[in-house]
Amino acid sequence: MSTCIETKQVSKIFGGLTAVNSVDVVVPENIIASIIGPNGAGKTTLFNCISGYYIPEHGQIEFYGMPIQGQPTYRVAALGIARTYQNIRLFGDMTAIENVMVGQYPRFKAGWVDAVLSTRREREEEKQAIEEGRRLLKFVGLEGLGDNLARNLPYGAQRRLEIARALANKPRLLLLDEPTAGMNPQETGKMTHFIRNLRDELGITILLIEHDMRVVMDISDQITVLDYGTKIAEGKPKSIQSNQRVIEAYLGPDVTSLTKKYQLRKKQRYDAKS
Amino acid sequence: MRSSAVDKGLRTGVVFGIVIVTMFLIGFTVTGAGLVGKIFGVQSSYSTPPLVFFSIFMILVGAWAGVTASPRPLLEADTWNRALLAGGSSGAVSGLFSAIIGFLFGELNSNRIDPRTYLPSVSPESIKMFLFDQTPFIGSLLMFALMTGSGLAAAALSFYLRNNGAVRSSLRKASESVWDSIRSERVSNIIQNKYTRYASLLAFAAILIILPRTWGGYWNYVFGTVGIYIILGLGLNIITGWAGQLVIGYVAFFAVGAYTFALLTAPEPHHLMMNFWVALGLGVLAAAISGLLIGLPILNLRGDYLAIVTLGFAEIIRILLKSDLMTPYTAGPRGIRDIAGPTILGKSFISDVDFMYLIIIAVLVVTFLANRLQNSRTGKAWYAINLDETVARATGINAFASKLLALSLSAAVAGLAGVLFASRNQFTGPDDHALMVSINVICLVIVGGIGNIPGIFLGAFALKGLPEILRETENYRLLIFGVLLIVMMRLRPEGFLPAKRPELEKASVQNPLGKEA
Repeated sequence: MSTCIETKQVSKIFGGLTAVNSVDVVVPENIIASIIGPNGAGKTTLFNCISGYYIPEHGQIEFYGMPIQGQPTYRVAALGIARTYQNIRLFGDMTAIENVMVGQYPRFKAGWVDAVLSTRREREEEKQAIEEGRRLLKFVGLEGLGDNLARNLPYGAQRRLEIARALANKPRLLLLDEPTAGMNPQETGKMTHFIRNLRDELGITILLIEHDMRVVMDISDQITVLDYGTKIAEGKPKSIQSNQRVIEAYLGPDVTSLTKKYQLRKKQRYDAKS
Repeated sequence: MRSSAVDKGLRTGVVFGIVIVTMFLIGFTVTGAGLVGKIFGVQSSYSTPPLVFFSIFMILVGAWAGVTASPRPLLEADTWNRALLAGGSSGAVSGLFSAIIGFLFGELNSNRIDPRTYLPSVSPESIKMFLFDQTPFIGSLLMFALMTGSGLAAAALSFYLRNNGAVRSSLRKASESVWDSIRSERVSNIIQNKYTRYASLLAFAAILIILPRTWGGYWNYVFGTVGIYIILGLGLNIITGWAGQLVIGYVAFFAVGAYTFALLTAPEPHHLMMNFWVALGLGVLAAAISGLLIGLPILNLRGDYLAIVTLGFAEIIRILLKSDLMTPYTAGPRGIRDIAGPTILGKSFISDVDFMYLIIIAVLVVTFLANRLQNSRTGKAWYAINLDETVARATGINAFASKLLALSLSAAVAGLAGVLFASRNQFTGPDDHALMVSINVICLVIVGGIGNIPGIFLGAFALKGLPEILRETENYRLLIFGVLLIVMMRLRPEGFLPAKRPELEKASVQNPLGKEA
């Protein structure tokens, strides 16, 4: 099993704040890996380093063995890394299918001269792009909604459309930033199932940031925990659940388990009353 | 409840009163009366228009006040009483304002105080007209009565039309039957028939061929200007409407095109005397290259740097052209004369009709170009950058290169417009390339409908064609531009004809862009 993406000692510094501090993450091909951590732990910053928005101060990021740190975002995308965003960022004034077609941009060649002359290449590519767009919309369950403006779609559909746009470039690695944020348990269940499908059917490696622990524990093959920019734990869901440092990062020191924290709080309340 | 109707009437009346007073103070009452006269076919450009037209103008304003104040059926109770109270009070208050201003200026006038020292548009004639040729007292009373009456009448009429079942149902029936017939299979068969389409294209072509021959030099000049502004609008739309990068100094590229062409074809100052078509190509090319050079250092920045830099560039070009430094090369503030007209096989075509044809062809070519680009892969990339540049980059779009392409294409189109402009006038000077040109183009794109090709046509006709047709309003052009922009931003921020996205999912696979086969 080859390595899909690997960060080697990656650091990102904003002024005096080290948002990501010498983080090593190794994601083997065709697994679902999660990055978790409290708010401000540097998860999204790490994503932004991978997708080329930020240039890390130190370290190396390798995509199938190829160093990609410092490359412009569009080139990283063309290599096959696609992403979604914590707060949905669609091209709101474009239709759903156009969003997916923009996602296919790097796969095609036709330039403005082709467009003006309406060359065979232009027409072929346009046809392919529309067909692929329809297929992807169907795949994410948005068939028939393709001609609505993206901003008019309901929330869940927007999430799925964002994933469809990310899939349009046939990526080998998909970065999902909180895919179930703002969803009810039912929608979350559907999304979890859907993400697993992506891996199983399309063979895409998935790296996701998620706060919903049930989702994380359910679908992850590997979990990396960040806190204050540093990696504090890595491993299978089972081992993370019982990891002392992770519990401390989430719940504070002197707490060995969630049950104990709960008992502690109950006791404090009881003391206050009496 | 009744007081709320009066309340609304009073408020509307105050607004209209202020509008009337302002119109009087800037002399628009005379212009307005002249416009009414023009509708009835009476030209009165240099004299005060007849009283009757002024009365009609004021009645229209009063009626507008009345209709505005009358109740909106779904939000307020709509009864005779309320309609009349609101309309009447609105008319009365605006009438009161008009009466007071009329009386004041009437008294000033009869005491031989000329207000023109401070208000250059308030001539004794306009005051006399405002008072219906009567004494200040009687005139202002008449004014009050006229406004109140027209407000009442308009409110009553609009109430009647809103609530009379017979009128309403017949109106609805009429509109339904028109819609039905448009939607019916027979009509749609006729519309979608290949031959019908050819016939309508042919008719359109015939109009474009015949019109310039028949309507004379003046209209050719006016619509030539409109055509040049359509080209400019379509060009600016590429970078500003689609790629979303504001360019304020668009006139710079217009100037580069015009001057390159002029210097290459005019006998002075260089005596190059190049062929029209070669020089046209070089003018367009020079403009495109200038766009590329301007874009290179700034387009990888975000935000409004491009707007500021192009603004500076436009001013630098204009000032350089005027300067002594450049006089030996560009003929300085005098401008360049005897610029070549188009020639075909040595025969020259420089009549106004020929130029109109040339401009029509150029407009068609640029429209074709813009239409092809709009929904292409490139066009979608531009629009994606416009909507969210960060995300566009992450979908694999090289935003810098795309924006650079948009800017140079945009500049090339401006260069073409510049060439046509210089060649038609056979002259170009620094003052042809003032910043006002850019502002006009931005206005017409915004008013027409940003990002939409038919919208730009409409905008160009409205902003460059209408002021020529309504010559009386010349002095108020900037005022009207300003008001128009504010009103547009409030009511229809996306323009008269907003851009629509194509329906690609539904479109058949054989005909993916919905284009004609």
